[in-house]
Amino acid sequence: MAKSKGISCALASLLATVTLSFPAFASAPQELSVEQIVHRANYTSYYQGKSGRAQVSMTITDSQQRVRQRELTILRLDASDSDNPDDGSYQSDQKFYIYFKRPADVNKMVFLVWKHLASDDDRWLYLPDMDLVKRIAASDQRTSFVGSDYFYEDVSGRSLAADHHELTSSDGDYYVLNNTPLAAEEVEFGRYEIYVHKKTFIPVQTTYFDKQGEPYRVATVLAVSDIEGYPTVTSAKMQDLRSGSTTVMTYSSVDYNVELDDELFTERYLRRPPRAQLR
Amino acid sequence: MLKLLCRGMTHLAIVRPRTVIAAMVISTLTIVATAALPSLWPERFSALHGIEVDTDPENMLSEQEPVRLFHHEAKERFNLSDMIVVGVTNPSHTQGAFNAATLKRVYQLTEFAKQLQWEIDGQREGVLSIDLLAPSTVDNIEQGGLGSVNFSWLMSAPPADDRAAAQVLERAQKIPFLNGTLVSEDGEALALYLPISKKELAYRIRNELLEFTHGWEHSGDNVYITGLPVAEDTFGVEMFIQMAISAPLAMLVIFLLLWLFFKKLILVASPMIVAMVASLATMGLLIATGNTIHIMSSMIPIFIMPIAVLDAVHILSEFFDRYGRHRDKRKTITEVIETLFAPMLFTTLTTMAGFASLYLTPIPPVQVFGLYIAIGVFLAWLWTMLFIPAYIMLIDERRLEGYGHHEGERPSLLGRALAATGHITTRRPWTVIAATTLAVVIAVIGIGRITVNDNPTRWFEESHPIRVADRVLNDHFGGTYMGYLELAAPAGPATLDTAAMQARLTERQRAATGAGNASAPYQRIQALLGAASGDPSDELQAVIGSGLDAAVNDADYYAWDDLQGWLDTEQQRSQLFKQPAMLNWLDQLQTALLANPSVGKVNSLPDVVKTVHRELRLGATEQYRIPATANAVGQTLITYQNSHRPHDLWHFVTPDYRHTVLWIQLTSGDNQDMEQVIATAEQFIASNPPPQAAEHHWFGLTYINVVWQGKMVAGMLEAFLGSFLVVLVMMVFLFRSLLWGLLAMIPLAVTVGLIYGVIGLIGKDYDMPVAVLSALSLGLAVDYAIHFLARAREAVAAAGSWRAATDEVFGEPARAISRNAIILGAGFTPLLAAPLVPYQTVGIFIASIILIAAIATLFILPALITYLQRWLFK
Repeated sequence: MAKSKGISCALASLLATVTLSFPAFASAPQELSVEQIVHRANYTSYYQGKSGRAQVSMTITDSQQRVRQRELTILRLDASDSDNPDDGSYQSDQKFYIYFKRPADVNKMVFLVWKHLASDDDRWLYLPDMDLVKRIAASDQRTSFVGSDYFYEDVSGRSLAADHHELTSSDGDYYVLNNTPLAAEEVEFGRYEIYVHKKTFIPVQTTYFDKQGEPYRVATVLAVSDIEGYPTVTSAKMQDLRSGSTTVMTYSSVDYNVELDDELFTERYLRRPPRAQLR
Repeated sequence: MLKLLCRGMTHLAIVRPRTVIAAMVISTLTIVATAALPSLWPERFSALHGIEVDTDPENMLSEQEPVRLFHHEAKERFNLSDMIVVGVTNPSHTQGAFNAATLKRVYQLTEFAKQLQWEIDGQREGVLSIDLLAPSTVDNIEQGGLGSVNFSWLMSAPPADDRAAAQVLERAQKIPFLNGTLVSEDGEALALYLPISKKELAYRIRNELLEFTHGWEHSGDNVYITGLPVAEDTFGVEMFIQMAISAPLAMLVIFLLLWLFFKKLILVASPMIVAMVASLATMGLLIATGNTIHIMSSMIPIFIMPIAVLDAVHILSEFFDRYGRHRDKRKTITEVIETLFAPMLFTTLTTMAGFASLYLTPIPPVQVFGLYIAIGVFLAWLWTMLFIPAYIMLIDERRLEGYGHHEGERPSLLGRALAATGHITTRRPWTVIAATTLAVVIAVIGIGRITVNDNPTRWFEESHPIRVADRVLNDHFGGTYMGYLELAAPAGPATLDTAAMQARLTERQRAATGAGNASAPYQRIQALLGAASGDPSDELQAVIGSGLDAAVNDADYYAWDDLQGWLDTEQQRSQLFKQPAMLNWLDQLQTALLANPSVGKVNSLPDVVKTVHRELRLGATEQYRIPATANAVGQTLITYQNSHRPHDLWHFVTPDYRHTVLWIQLTSGDNQDMEQVIATAEQFIASNPPPQAAEHHWFGLTYINVVWQGKMVAGMLEAFLGSFLVVLVMMVFLFRSLLWGLLAMIPLAVTVGLIYGVIGLIGKDYDMPVAVLSALSLGLAVDYAIHFLARAREAVAAAGSWRAATDEVFGEPARAISRNAIILGAGFTPLLAAPLVPYQTVGIFIASIILIAAIATLFILPALITYLQRWLFK
């Protein structure tokens, strides 16, 4: 794994500067169970704060270096009020409101997700120029997120219960987790490997291997900042090794614990985007 | 001069036979070694050129050919690859291939095909699994419950029972880009499409697939593998087997016939040696100079052999006829060579001219073919003149005892037949002339009917598995041959209509300021737009960007935000193939193309838009249409991209929506059919111009074949006419008479006319091998005429009159010509057994050219001489 090690080293210095401001994490107990690591990584990725908002600039670059750009705003609201990564109370149903600004043809398009822990997620897509609200069937979340190299599941998070997790290494700065799906026939990967930074619990690199054992998809964190006390990924990329396509997502105006009304996350607001929250 | 050269060469051969033979052996071995060593040990002899095979018909065009450059450029633009097509049918099952057991095997085959990649030169090459089309790798788009749209794998796992299997078919048939491509419209067959990264791997992949599916026939499944890359690559492999079988087999037959005619094994071996040396040295030179073995160059030995044997047979024939008289090999050989030197030199030069003329064609492999045959013909002449006398000198005179034609011996059947021919042609020349005229008339009618056509799949025999697969699959599906038609916005930056932009901005401002937006930002942009020269987009973007960043209050922010939306919309106008008008026009073009009988199916961007739109609108049939606005098209397409295969869209349109491509599936790979498809499209575009300016260009292997064929036909005709004139000049020079020169060209003209007339009459397509044959006939037909006329002139000079000389002319010279024709004509019959059609074509036509040329020479020339004797022998 020379490749992933190289990427990890590049990130190490970046993470070092961030972790200085996290004394709590810096003194985290050395002997964590696999479950604890998995939960902390899950928390860091999807559950920090009661709610969140970010402007996202998405750049998709194909193998011929042709670039497509999308700009969107993501609003998130958790059902749980807890912010504790260790007792599992942080985990709850979540709602996402994803509003598209650019390019022109997707302007005002909205993607709404109700993520459920106990059942399949509900998803809606609003297409403004056809004045059409479509539910997207929940059967498979491992499809492309609006044509990018990210999957829907990457945006809202994969259920921890879907995979078997195994700690394969805890040398150096990273925990290395090997994850194998419990229902192998439902997914296209054979397994995936995550490098979780020991101090921030940011999963800095995730590599997906196909059923023949070949790596074909790699997610890498490119930049991290401390925002309101939360270690936050501000830039990340997803590479599709087979098609040669890469998507970079850059987050700006990140804000945690923002005031968001639960009513925003309903079908009614798809046609009437909340300007104030999206600005 | 000629005499000097003749004496010098003969002297050298007779006095120093061992030196001559040693020189031949050493020079040939050196050339062969230069080519063979780097082929066998490429690492150790990296400075030399080893054998390199090239079976790609694309190389019929030069690498710099614009059509070819565009083909590669466009293929890259749309990420298109050459495809291997694997078809599966199951005639024994009521549900055809769509039964649980067959689909399970197909699922396994797909998984197997996905990992057919190999490490080649540090790159992973083979099947491009990401673009593989199979029931388990494509998405189904359909209505889910609760008014939802569903993207799911068409067949995520092997179906549990036959009912589930039938559903796979049912779903796929609702999706236009799968129906007729992945599943047959008759519901009997399914096809997998395996895109490959390198055409050269097609044969290897085919073999892997055949091995994997071995035994499927016991379950009732038939597996068919085809596609142009498979046909081309397989042809390359089988071509080599043919080269190793056909050429030696032809040699063997020629050898046996020589033995039959000339009895002495030891003498008969000599033409074989010359043919072998000339072929080996030529191929060695070809390889050593870095040329590739192409479909054309693989035939070089087959062309050189008859020509090499031809020269040697003339000598042997004369030697055979005269040896009995002299009983002295030295005296006989000197006399024979003296008689034959001039005609043989000229026949060699004319043959060389015929083949060298191919260098004028614009097709690189044909150029190489012509040039190297010319070299081979020269080598054959050189070693015939040096080696054969030297070889004869080294034979112990006692072993030649009883050899040769004896005076007063009862004439052979051939001899009697020739004497009769001489009698008829000189006594009743009008019969011959009338018959010739009739033949020429028929030939002209036939030539008028020639159809120019080619198709690499048809290079295989009817019964070849690839031909069978081609037939079956094109019967069930929209076609396995792909022609691509690209439509593109005119090159260069899109022109902006700033006046119209201002008008639309005013409209926007009125609506937005009414809703409370600040008006200052709009006025600022209006002013910039009014003052703009050229494309103001970048400047406007910068102003809007900083406006958004600096906005202090909501009214300002929303104004700038609205302006951003306006600018984005303006820029989207350059996205030609998001505009509904253009998509509707493309749809009409597609309909026009489908009316052409060779077009089985067209896959296109409008199909994608219409299908997704229908499914978004609850699957209603009347919603199978292009939505009304560009934004709605954009939103339809982004919905489509929410699938497992978002990259599929870029096979139809570029991300800037300024280039799109129609995939035209043809049920035939015939160039003629492709030409008609092109005509259909051109006609439609000419009478229905696109609503916005757009250029169109063709690409794809089927199109490339049409282009090089066009070049070949024109090039060959030019080359043939050019060399015909050159040969005529040479003849006039040789005989020092225009009339004699013209006479020498007659058998050639009649032969070529008849050959192509017959091709036209029997409906054989004028394809690559047929085109090249004109050069060969130029070489062979003149040969006989030169020998005949040269000897006739000598005989008349000796006997005093044409009438008195007839017997002499129809003796030795006519025998030499007939023996030659019989030996060579029969020598090429083994090619008829070859399973590759171009080899059969070459075999049958070489034999016909030789026989017709001999007959034309022996009948037409004496008849004409009889008529023209007053002017010929002044």
